[in-house]
Amino acid sequence: MNFLTVFARAVASMRYNKTRSFLTALGIIIGVTTIIAIVALLKGLDRTIDQEFSSLGTKTIYVQKMELEIGLRRHRNFEEISKRPDLTVEDAAAISELATVRAAVPYIPRNLGTLTRGIYEADECILAGIGEGGDLTGNWIISRGRFITRYDQQHRNMVCVIGSYVADNLFGRGEEPLNQTLEVDGRRYVVVGVLEEKGGSFGHPQDNQIFIPVETHLKYYSLPEGRASVFRGMRIEVLPEEEVPVETAVADVEELLRLRHGLRYYEDNDFGLNTQESMLSSLNTIRSVLWLVMVGVAGISLLVGGIGIMNIMLVSVAERTREIGIRKAVGASDVDITVQFLSEAVALASVGGVVGIVLGLAAGAFVSAITPLQAAAPWWTVVLGVGFSAAVGIIFGIYPARKASGLNPIDAIRYE
Amino acid sequence: MAERREAGVARAPVERVIELAGVSKVYDTGRVAVRALDDVDLRLEAGGYMAIMGPSGSGKSTLMHILGCLDTPTSGSYFLRGHEVSQYARKKLAQVRNREVGFVFQRFNLLPRLTAAENVELPLLYAGASAERRREVVADLLAKVGLSDRGHHRPNELSGGEVQRVAIARALANDPAIILADEPTGNLDSKSEEDLMQLLDSLNEKGKTLVVVTHEDSVARHAKRVITLHDGRVV
Repeated sequence: MNFLTVFARAVASMRYNKTRSFLTALGIIIGVTTIIAIVALLKGLDRTIDQEFSSLGTKTIYVQKMELEIGLRRHRNFEEISKRPDLTVEDAAAISELATVRAAVPYIPRNLGTLTRGIYEADECILAGIGEGGDLTGNWIISRGRFITRYDQQHRNMVCVIGSYVADNLFGRGEEPLNQTLEVDGRRYVVVGVLEEKGGSFGHPQDNQIFIPVETHLKYYSLPEGRASVFRGMRIEVLPEEEVPVETAVADVEELLRLRHGLRYYEDNDFGLNTQESMLSSLNTIRSVLWLVMVGVAGISLLVGGIGIMNIMLVSVAERTREIGIRKAVGASDVDITVQFLSEAVALASVGGVVGIVLGLAAGAFVSAITPLQAAAPWWTVVLGVGFSAAVGIIFGIYPARKASGLNPIDAIRYE
Repeated sequence: MAERREAGVARAPVERVIELAGVSKVYDTGRVAVRALDDVDLRLEAGGYMAIMGPSGSGKSTLMHILGCLDTPTSGSYFLRGHEVSQYARKKLAQVRNREVGFVFQRFNLLPRLTAAENVELPLLYAGASAERRREVVADLLAKVGLSDRGHHRPNELSGGEVQRVAIARALANDPAIILADEPTGNLDSKSEEDLMQLLDSLNEKGKTLVVVTHEDSVARHAKRVITLHDGRVV
């Protein structure tokens, strides 16, 4: 008997007892639906996170007072961290001298709240001090004009470069912001550049910034102290030279800063070097936990489904003892009988798997339709779903099938 | 199969299909050993027609199972068409049942889930025949037993006599050396019984070797030879 005949017969046998077959396959259906739906959700989550990260500079190293970790946060001693030395413009200048570094830019943010200009207003604006090269490290594209220069820094020029949100909200339609003045905290800055829209990152808007030379910022505003300095103090954004691996630049910056901070070899860093990779790695811990949970859930539901199939197949073997006897009497070998019952178990599980895949994909599509999460199961989950359910059919079908084939033909024929 | 038939013709003018030599079957039930067959010698030539009679518990069924290769003797030898099948392993026995033996049981002969045609097809399927050949042979056999128009019916849509005729068609599927019928008319009225026995007679006239187990004289008198078992011995 070829494969198709065997399978056709298995399906025919399944149809013979539709209700029972459906109930038996239900365990597998639920299991596979769960797998596909969860994979779709996790993939959607991954995709969303990747999109958020891509709006940051991919190679940029963020030198801050502490190491950033997303998610599973260890207990941090904020008292100790807030006493760490502030990063300085001189640190940035020294880092930018490194051979492996293309640009090192100081950055200080300051919340402004709502900013008004005549009849126009923009909410939640940020006045950020920044150095030359901040467009490179921050992955900004200049729409019109120019970015902050070294000259602006040295002369504490009253100039600013504005994000698209600021440009759109504080200037009228058709009004060109370039060379106009913008009043912030009673001081007037000339707009020398407008940036292209970048979108938010992790829920934080970015286009709401007004960049001014860092020296100008330092002149008018003092650096935050204590705990505030940890998150809102000066940070240095470092862009490695092209062709230089991020890790190499990180090592150079670390060595330099340890030297500048006078750290002994046994002392820990009193600063954090945060890269997209280091943040991703802590994020990946969460991802792997989620995947593990998924594997656990899927494994248990498939186990339960498999036991259901084994149970029904054992019942079926008992019910069909007479049939097995007759088949053996007309020449079915042990292998023939094993294949017959095994194929029925596999058919049950596979049909359950296919139904589960359809339901799981539908669940993913439903989530995508009603939430911003782009939940979509990749193609390999379909293969995985079919493969897993067929494997469950084989694993849990082999015992009943062996039991059937091991029956003595006389006992089986006598059975009534 | 053609090769085998030629060999048979070459070997002897009358082939010895069945030869039992000192066959015993002992069932060990744990407390006592039951001797179901006790030193049975039996020969049947090709084209023979034998009825096995005897009261219940006499060993009829056990003998039938051994003849049909459903069971192996505890001691003694069984030659089927000259091959000693009493020593065969399970796999080989399944092959012998498939090719050399055709069974007709008393009741529950057919698989209830399959149609009459599919039931007849079973031995061909296990023999590995092609779909085309299976279709041909099944149509041929159903015609032979007068049920050409009943092929698509399931057993519960057939009369008792029709069921037994389908069983005979199935028994003939691989052109076996012997047909074994175990109380084939046990459930039939006398008219159907007569029809069925005539069908078996006609098969024998065409050269089929038949063994019928029965306890009814009306069935046994169709056979050319009757043996009676008592307590596992031929009397």
